[in-house]
Amino acid sequence: MVQPDHTHAPRPVPSPYTGRQEIDLDQVREMLSHFTYSDHEEAQELILSALQEINEHFGWVSHEAAEIVADHLGTSATRVFAILTFYADFRTTPRGHHHMLLCHGMSCYVMGSSKLVQKVRDEYGIGDGDTTPDGQLSVQVANFCLGVCDRSPVVKLDDEYYGHVNADDLTDLVNRAIEGREAMHASEVNHG
Amino acid sequence: MVSVKPSAHLTRLNSKDDYIAFREHAHRKWDALWNGDATLVSVGVGSSSIAKGALEVLEQAHQVAGDAIVREVSGNGAFWMEPWIEIKRPGVDPVVYGPLTVDDVAGVIAGTRDDLAVGVRGENPVGDIRPLTEIDFFKHQVPLLTRNAGVIEPDSIEDAIARGAYDGYFKVLFEISQEQAIAEVTTANVRGRGGGGFPAGIKWESGRKARNNPKFIVCNSHEGEPNVYKDRHLHECDPHRILEGIMIACIACGAERGYNYIGGEYPLGIRRFRKAVANAERLGLIGKNVLGTGKNVAIRVRTGGGAYVCGEASALMYSIMGVRGQPRTKPPRSVEEGLWKRPTVANNTETLANMPDIIVRGGEWYASLGTENSKGTKLMTMQGPSKLSGVVEVEMGVTMRHLLNDIYGGMREGYTFKGIQTGGASAGPITEDAFDLAIDFDSLGPLNGMLGSGGWVLFDEDVCAVDMARYLTAFSRYESCSKCVPCRLGNPALVEILDRIRFGRGSLEDLALIRRTSSHIIELSLCGLGQVAPVPLVAFLDTYEEEFRQHIVDGVCKCGVCPISAPSRETMLEEVAAD
Ligand SMILES: Cc1cc2nc3c(=O)[nH]c(=O)nc-3n(C[C@H](O)[C@H](O)[C@H](O)COP(=O)(O)O)c2cc1C
Ligand code: SF4
Ligand code: FES
Repeated sequence: MVQPDHTHAPRPVPSPYTGRQEIDLDQVREMLSHFTYSDHEEAQELILSALQEINEHFGWVSHEAAEIVADHLGTSATRVFAILTFYADFRTTPRGHHHMLLCHGMSCYVMGSSKLVQKVRDEYGIGDGDTTPDGQLSVQVANFCLGVCDRSPVVKLDDEYYGHVNADDLTDLVNRAIEGREAMHASEVNHG
Repeated sequence: MVSVKPSAHLTRLNSKDDYIAFREHAHRKWDALWNGDATLVSVGVGSSSIAKGALEVLEQAHQVAGDAIVREVSGNGAFWMEPWIEIKRPGVDPVVYGPLTVDDVAGVIAGTRDDLAVGVRGENPVGDIRPLTEIDFFKHQVPLLTRNAGVIEPDSIEDAIARGAYDGYFKVLFEISQEQAIAEVTTANVRGRGGGGFPAGIKWESGRKARNNPKFIVCNSHEGEPNVYKDRHLHECDPHRILEGIMIACIACGAERGYNYIGGEYPLGIRRFRKAVANAERLGLIGKNVLGTGKNVAIRVRTGGGAYVCGEASALMYSIMGVRGQPRTKPPRSVEEGLWKRPTVANNTETLANMPDIIVRGGEWYASLGTENSKGTKLMTMQGPSKLSGVVEVEMGVTMRHLLNDIYGGMREGYTFKGIQTGGASAGPITEDAFDLAIDFDSLGPLNGMLGSGGWVLFDEDVCAVDMARYLTAFSRYESCSKCVPCRLGNPALVEILDRIRFGRGSLEDLALIRRTSSHIIELSLCGLGQVAPVPLVAFLDTYEEEFRQHIVDGVCKCGVCPISAPSRETMLEEVAAD
């Protein structure tokens, strides 16, 4: 019998979102230590990737973190900020405790995502890139496709995807997320 | 940096003979796997199936598989059967089951859930289960680029090699010259899949002739359009094919380094591509003195940050160089002065993914597929209320009628056809009179449509033409890089006019104003984004003018979408009074 060449350990089921917000600068330095380069050109090529890793990990990039990136890669903080404010993926303010990615790609648009964007505005008073004043919920309206079009309109709340979402479901989902992590665990989630 | 490690058992190959021996080993291993006496349980894991719980299914498969070998393969493009599991039992062809839940896994593996079977991946029926190729969705496809989808484990370079990966690279390294390689690409007449349709052979030839050194190859995997996900799919199911395409381009054009710029939106595809690079590096297919040939090939992976305009080739290069991705004026063209001011050949992912087959099977073979002016196959996606959904690969020249009705199963129940938006936010909608045209790079042009990257968006009678035109225009407004005035100010102006109409304050002069403003933006903008930004709007106006007029003249949005049709304060008060 042939053995597979790379036995897979079962992959962990995505854990509930932990709402990381504080940026631990020592951790940023540790992350950056893996970004090594052989010349100035390569260092510049790494700026975006470094910012992405920080943004992905903490949900945003602070001034201090941006300065550390600039120092590490031999560039100016201004240049790093020019990047942070140009690319839509980056946030320069902390995310909410729960983060919603609301797909507004073309399939989701056709299937009614505008109503969801409006619902978030009506119910929580926030739009793309905003966070509620109590810090509970932030939202990003995705201008691209999340790649699950057969379930449009699609919302990704923390680590879970929800399909065929209508405006009423949306507030239910958010309320369940805010009320307690237990209720959010994957086993209970209806995938749409 | 999130480093992806190569598979531990791989070691460096130093010569042609080393490679040939390794390839034989990979083939033997593959044959033993599929002809052995073990049961194989393959779970289709891709970003679309993960969203539906495929990782949980995979974990469950590991839990209950017993002696069976569990494999993590990619999705196969058929979103409607996800999550799925394929079971290969000794002596018969593999059977695919789906869509299923975690609770079904044990039964499927035990062989008690044939009710969930979709079909056999192979020619022979298994019991009552018929081959997948008899199902319409698969029957009409021509899988070249996607033939490994759902078959190989994307993380295993040996699986890929056993299925023919890197044979084209081997050929350009050892058997044919740069000129011959480019001649095959030219004969194949493969046109750029990034939307423009520029012949790749011509671009490669200019790249080879450029005298400034070093030179670079850039694979454009940005795919920031809201209407398509075919490059993401390709990364997830066969990263080796893309990598090999880049490596072939490096050798053919004499470039020492290739880049793959991947949109940040697909982490799984990025991870699988990085793994392919790590394994190819470990084997010595990439690096210095590749297989003892004296040739050096380096590969770098760079990821985007969610700006659509970075798909434009010059903006993409700025983005790689770590600045804002804003397009520049041409000339100089990228093949003369691109990344780091060096000659750079930029191609779309799908364009490059075609190269291995073109090199191995020859340009003439490739040119026998497709239409007069557009050769080969095309990856396509269908969004909106079609019965089935997913990525398909069809021969160029397919008709929309065939694609929509036979492959995607037609409209979903309860929806009435209104149109199909083409070319993402760069072209206009087509209606049923375009349904019998053979689709290729040029055929839809006279009808305001465009093949573009192959992402079709079906929309139904409940979608308001004015609102959809606004959606598309607002996309371009949002994505404008703001470098030049016509695009930066013109697109907001168009959105403002459209909002006037949506709110019931438009006038008939606004229709003329839309056309005038649009032609300014189209004529005066610096890059491709601005030059096509108003095209969808103008095309919607051409196709659905009646609906625009209804908003303006009658004050109604018949779809009930625009704010104009929300009950006014007065009618609401009247209703309350009547209660
Ligand atoms: C605004 C804009 C966005 C683009 N986005 C992409 C993209 O996401 N992927 C792509 O391959 N080409 C994109 N292109 C086209 C590229 O500029 C370029 O023509 C293409 O990558 C060349 O490869 P090809 O000849 O293989 O098509 C875009 C162009 C413009 C103007
Ligand atoms: S046309 Fe638009 S996207 Fe292109 S350079 Fe001008 S402002 Fe930027
Ligand atoms: S457009 Fe929303 S998932 Fe594709």
